[in-house]
Amino acid sequence: MKTQSSLGSSLNQTVLLEIGNELGDYAGMLLAGFGADVIKLEPRGGSQSRRVGPFADGNPERSIFFWRYNLNKKSAGLDLDEPAARPLFARMAARADIALLSGEIETVERRLELWRELAEQNPSLIVCTITPFGLSGPYRRLKSTDLTQMAMGGIMAVCGYDPGANLQYDTPPIAPAMWHAYHIAGEYAAIAILAAANFRDLSGEGQFIDVSVHEAVNTCTEIALPTYIYNGQVVLRQTARHAFPHITQFRLSKSRDDVYMLASLSPFEREARAFAELADQVGMEHVLKTPEYKQLEKEDSRAAYTYRNDLIEQLVARLPAQEVFERAQALGLAWSPIRRPEDNLADPHFNARHSFARIHHPEIGRDLLYPGTVAGDGEQPHMSYTRRAPGLGEHTCEVLEWSGCGRDEIEKLRALGVI
Amino acid sequence: MGENGETKRWALAGVRIIDLTWLQVGPQATRILASFGAQVIRIEWRHPAAVDFLRYMQPFAPDHATPQGGRSQGAARTHGIRGNFNRGGYYNNTNPGKYGITLNLNHPKGRDLLRRMVRDANAICENFSPGQMDKWNLGYAELRKLNPRIIYMQTTGVGKFGIYENYVSYGPTAQAMSGLTFMSGLAEPHPPAGWGYSYLDHSPGYFGAMLMMAALHRQRQSGTGAYIDLSQTETGMMLTGTSMLEYQLTGKPTARYGNRMPYLNWSPHGAYPCQGEDNWIAISVQSDDQWRSLIEEIGSPQWALDAQFANAARRKANEDELDRQLASCTVLEDRYDLMMRLQARGIPAGVVQKAPDRFDRDPQLKARGYFVDLPHSEIGTWPIEGFPAELSRSPANVGGLTGRASPKLGEDNDYVYRELFGLTADELEALKQEDVI
Repeated sequence: MKTQSSLGSSLNQTVLLEIGNELGDYAGMLLAGFGADVIKLEPRGGSQSRRVGPFADGNPERSIFFWRYNLNKKSAGLDLDEPAARPLFARMAARADIALLSGEIETVERRLELWRELAEQNPSLIVCTITPFGLSGPYRRLKSTDLTQMAMGGIMAVCGYDPGANLQYDTPPIAPAMWHAYHIAGEYAAIAILAAANFRDLSGEGQFIDVSVHEAVNTCTEIALPTYIYNGQVVLRQTARHAFPHITQFRLSKSRDDVYMLASLSPFEREARAFAELADQVGMEHVLKTPEYKQLEKEDSRAAYTYRNDLIEQLVARLPAQEVFERAQALGLAWSPIRRPEDNLADPHFNARHSFARIHHPEIGRDLLYPGTVAGDGEQPHMSYTRRAPGLGEHTCEVLEWSGCGRDEIEKLRALGVI
Repeated sequence: MGENGETKRWALAGVRIIDLTWLQVGPQATRILASFGAQVIRIEWRHPAAVDFLRYMQPFAPDHATPQGGRSQGAARTHGIRGNFNRGGYYNNTNPGKYGITLNLNHPKGRDLLRRMVRDANAICENFSPGQMDKWNLGYAELRKLNPRIIYMQTTGVGKFGIYENYVSYGPTAQAMSGLTFMSGLAEPHPPAGWGYSYLDHSPGYFGAMLMMAALHRQRQSGTGAYIDLSQTETGMMLTGTSMLEYQLTGKPTARYGNRMPYLNWSPHGAYPCQGEDNWIAISVQSDDQWRSLIEEIGSPQWALDAQFANAARRKANEDELDRQLASCTVLEDRYDLMMRLQARGIPAGVVQKAPDRFDRDPQLKARGYFVDLPHSEIGTWPIEGFPAELSRSPANVGGLTGRASPKLGEDNDYVYRELFGLTADELEALKQEDVI
């Protein structure tokens, strides 16, 4: 369908200065996907996120983590906390649209002081901070990592494995891998910055945004809070299915080629018909004639669920996962194999949709496919990723020129050790 | 009016969104847009087979909850009231700040009314099965003829275009396909633990809000519309971190690590049991200094001084034993007391909080005003989950323009059809008689 062009250029002409660590990398990359010119200002030695693994070829200069979360950005190397750098920041702040500060609260607070002053000179500047607990409140100075945020935000308590006998859990709650606390916070930061950009369209005004990772994670637990708030009940974590006030029927099955499948049947006429057809296709039609089947195919009882799940297990075990998937989907059953992420790289559907961005990496002499979009316009992705993550200081000169520094000034900054 | 007597200022002032979404993934996006002041008109149909499943899904407000009351009357278990679609608690939490109307799109007059609404709307959102709007002749190509500036957002499991275009999917299906389910859980031979809820009904909702905001910004600047084909599974793929890249570089299949940190020398790193029933604390030690502090805090037990735990690399190599020993110490501790003692020593530690811990106890959420009390016309005033960021000039408010939690089914028919779209009382009545509204 011919449409009105991708949103990948909707933030063209918008300059975002990014100062911080892995709490903010993803938010910056999301906005870079909409065309914002994201300039990462990195201290001597580079951003903290350059030191997070895994590393390509075991080379500590090649953080795959950094690559993944810093597509499309530019990098300028500066001493961020050197007083002599202040005039330079002032020049940048006068020209920029957005400043994104992330990291431990002590660091962010210290830097924010300067940016509050700079925002007075440029009232249309949007300044967004991402800190573990936000800039206020009794927990604001607590230390955290992605894991402890997933714990305090309530996600871990609802993820994990079934309890054993007497509802006693013998496995810990699980934080689903990996970096989701920062994903959620990054998505909300991008939303808040875009809201502020919309407000600026109306009013010409910038503003300050205070994103709390803790609060962000808390928004993302579905029925866990409402179940307690309305009914006073606590949901129980259970293997690969929804946490619920009681334990529901186990429902993982394995295909002939040893892949776990997510497959279940609800007591609806439509699903019973689809299952009967599927059973017929794979040579299980004899089951359909048994009295048990006739009695239990549409019953909404525990025994009926157990019975149907046994049938699903037998059926799934007869075929390779991809074949179960295609046959079930053709009949309107929402079944899926539990794929590894890389299984999707060769999937023709996602390739047809341009779900991956092909990014060239000269440092290893090859291209890599990045999952880079979540939406298209029928022809092309709405978020556009074309450039690999920058090397440290790769764009320092370009950024200084953009900020209006003359050659003499650049030399002076160099002599002072600022750049 | 705001606290200082200033008029509230909405980032999305003047934006009207026709909201045909249902369940969670679509309404999550329009919930965020409403909280920034967009006028979100949520369209539903009252036929029992068409009513949003969330309206009759647990948890329900207790049967004793009245319009003047709400949570102040207490929480209680209930199976809901048969045939009543206005008491869903999860629905209430998912749809605050929206106007609610009924409209029958299977009726030609219903479709005509929708076309009329689209003419001066900024955007329309839907998450029907992929081809449904085209069947009604209400797809993007058609609506764009009526309103060239329209932003049309469609959310589906795997995306509308492509090879799997008719595939059916819920949050868990999309999660399984994306790789997220596989990645969550303890190492083999344990099966995947997956997610205990539909994460891919949440995240694609956040992306939906983000894409809409980007499109609205562009619409304000250049008058251009957009068609957005949002896919839950692709959102999940975006969130699989570095695994796809690592696979391309090493050929090593993605593995599960439980709660451990495979990419940094952080150890111990996991959830450890505490006093009480199913109580846990997450501890994330990032350095040898933190490790020494941790040992001191738990009373320097003999096992902890063993050479096999002397530095990060050795702790990593002996992580099973380390976890077992540490658990034998934490199990004697009160979870919050231990958390604050470890925090006082600069060690990242956090209680694995359950819903009551978050709602009744968490002093940070309280201080930041995370839960917002909002009225509902039938079940009274309930705490609604808020927006996780403070904006200094155009703050988010989950009550939106309505200042209310979710709408009752068709609650705003009069206001929307008469005041916004100029129908007369007689016209409205006739349409009701014809089963259009």
